Amino acid sequence: MKVGSILIEFKNVSKVYPNGTRGLTNIDLTIEEGEFVVIVGLSGAGKSTFLRSVNRLHEITEGEINVNNKSITKAKGKALYEIRRDIGMIFQNFNLVKRSSVMRNVLSGRVGYHSTLRMIFGLFPKHDKELALDALERVGLKDKAYVRADQLSGGQQQRVSIARALAQEAKVILADEPVASLDPLTTKQVMDDLAKINEELKITMIVNLHSVDLAKKYATRIIGLKEGKVVFDGSVSEATDKAFEQIYGKVDEENVRKRAAK
Amino acid sequence: MTQSKGLVYIRRFVIVLAVLAIYIWAFAGLPTLELKETSIEVISAILAGIFSPDWGYVYDPGGEDLLRGLLDTVAIAILGTFIAGILCIPFAFMAANNIMKNKAVVGINKFILSFIRVFPDIVLALLFIKAVGPGEFAGVLALGIGAIGMLGKLISESIENVDLSAKEALIATGANPIKTFIFAIVPQVLPNYFSFVMYRLEVNMRAATVLGVIGAGGIGTPLIFALSVRDWERVGIILLGIIVMVTIVDIISSKVRARFT
Repeated sequence: MKVGSILIEFKNVSKVYPNGTRGLTNIDLTIEEGEFVVIVGLSGAGKSTFLRSVNRLHEITEGEINVNNKSITKAKGKALYEIRRDIGMIFQNFNLVKRSSVMRNVLSGRVGYHSTLRMIFGLFPKHDKELALDALERVGLKDKAYVRADQLSGGQQQRVSIARALAQEAKVILADEPVASLDPLTTKQVMDDLAKINEELKITMIVNLHSVDLAKKYATRIIGLKEGKVVFDGSVSEATDKAFEQIYGKVDEENVRKRAAK
Repeated sequence: MTQSKGLVYIRRFVIVLAVLAIYIWAFAGLPTLELKETSIEVISAILAGIFSPDWGYVYDPGGEDLLRGLLDTVAIAILGTFIAGILCIPFAFMAANNIMKNKAVVGINKFILSFIRVFPDIVLALLFIKAVGPGEFAGVLALGIGAIGMLGKLISESIENVDLSAKEALIATGANPIKTFIFAIVPQVLPNYFSFVMYRLEVNMRAATVLGVIGAGGIGTPLIFALSVRDWERVGIILLGIIVMVTIVDIISSKVRARFT
């Protein structure tokens, strides 16, 4: 695989919550353009904190994060908004405005590009509408553009939120448990969409998953987190069962199989 | 379950006795009912007047007539509701505990809203008549200020029920706080907002008809004049006019509200 330029850089990043719990501890890593990174780990291992510190939805308490060679940790006001504009995000619960139309939800990915006054009146240029329709076409929902978001199924809503990130023309898409509330079939559709976008548009993906199988199937690189520390970082071929044992702790496989059989 | 049947009967008996005693005491306290000799005569005159309304009053090219009075009333109600609809917005947001994180600000705004709600429209109108003189303007101010209390409370409650997850998504796209607000919060509140404002318009319609009685403009003024000179035919046509006007506004308002929900 061709090595791209560095897109995201974690420099000795730590996060301690006000109540003293450690979210992240001394994270040092870089993510290159075009990678499909899957973050795995138990619930509470810091996956979500890791992801949300990239676009600073969560503040870190130590270290620095650079996105596209700009420090998001130090950015303020307009500079911060402009860095965030390059980072799309997909959430477990889709986070759409349910009462608004699909089109308006997708267009909301464009608000960072225009003046506040223009956005108060909702005046999107024609170019934005074309971008939004293209994004919807890519996820197969062009015919639903003027339907209210809450009329769609869960899988369709998640694809609308992917379209929102596409319309945003983000360089990297963060996906926080994007398939956790979806059934197996729609899970496949959503993950395939993400893989296709990664491949065709070269948009870097950083995806939190708790399914090891999905991680192995879609990732080019797997990062394992445990108690806020990176315990594994490598390609899929390096991610052996032994590596996962390190991430998830010793699993009594016999027991798991028995439970799965039930 | 373990109570014996006898005890249940005794308890019922005591309750019935107590209720009876309260009724007897209450009626004993009433002043003796006496009809004036003229009562029957007056009541039949009123009824006769109401059932033979003064159609000539409906439109009078020269001066004050029913249509102009009703138009004034509608104008007072609409303008009052419009003013309240705008002024309630900042209070509503500052009284919503999910938007305003500062508890003191939320508390103060909730207090202001309930403080305004305490005043009946009539009392506010009396105050404004003293302040700006009698007339339509006093009526508009009374309804405009009075409705802030109710609208602000209802809207702030609907803001508190807003789903804030979309807000997170908008922040993530690089939207500043104003854009986030416009795209993530406003679409969720707007339908309720219009619905509440239209409902308040119905309430203000009724309030505006009464305001004239105390001199705050509108159809109430000719009504109280007609009543005081016992012109029952005119009272009849005014009441008829009010009924038609209020019904029309109610129908329009409920049609509009149905579209928003």
